[in-house]
Amino acid sequence: MAVKRPNVIGRIETLLDAQDDRTVGTSMRMPASLRDAAALAVEHLHVARSTTALTAEALRCRLEAIVLQAALDSHYRENPGARPSLGDLAVAAAELDGHPLAPRPQVLRRAAEEVVRSHPDADADDVLLWAEAQASVAG
Amino acid sequence: MTRVRTVVLDNEGVQALSSSTHPKHAQVIAHVQVVAHRKAKAIPLDILAPTAVRVEAGWDRRARSAALINHLRIADVPLDTPSADVAAELVVRLQVSVADAHLGATVASVADRGAVAIITSDPADMAAVSGPVPVTIVTI
Repeated sequence: MAVKRPNVIGRIETLLDAQDDRTVGTSMRMPASLRDAAALAVEHLHVARSTTALTAEALRCRLEAIVLQAALDSHYRENPGARPSLGDLAVAAAELDGHPLAPRPQVLRRAAEEVVRSHPDADADDVLLWAEAQASVAG
Repeated sequence: MTRVRTVVLDNEGVQALSSSTHPKHAQVIAHVQVVAHRKAKAIPLDILAPTAVRVEAGWDRRARSAALINHLRIADVPLDTPSADVAAELVVRLQVSVADAHLGATVASVADRGAVAIITSDPADMAAVSGPVPVTIVTI
């Protein structure tokens, strides 16, 4: 039986929010090289308590991103006017980071228009980098 | 300049996300979209709402009107015992609201994770309750 997409998203959210410390063994297969890389990162770079913890954190982070974007996409479908432009996103990113160009939104919007012409898939951070480089060159 | 690690919402930030007709809705949605893009790139970044701010903004997670904001992966920060102590000190010292004081306590509790940004319509009070933690104040 097919399950509706919103129901799946809601179920994933519920599971992500669950305060449940139980663990399960899985038969999940992964490339041996990836497993070895993770083990090295844990042992020598101390990026997590264990490779299991590292894997779980990465999986949680990815699922969080998926459900958040799904919620936003659903909102944009119902409210097309709410979808931010690349310029809007560049301004928002600059504001959140306290970027020196945040008080100059017109510069960021112009940079977004320039960047997207040659890089249609550019995101807000690409625009910030471009605008920063342009500002640096301009002195 | 360092990339933001934690975004904290004040009353106006919550209200802007709760209703698509709020005048600041599109602006704050853009901030959430930036968070979503960065999460997709595995950049750690959290959005938090102190529970006292939720109360002040009228965000009841059980309400149908909260359907959108409930899905934006905004974590509650409860007013637990240590936070209540910090918030009480802020109320006495600065004569701010309970919600603003809880927000200040929240900022103090997450400051060691990395840079903090506050989305607010009240930059002066936010700067006061956050001190001495350096925060980026995003005025909407």
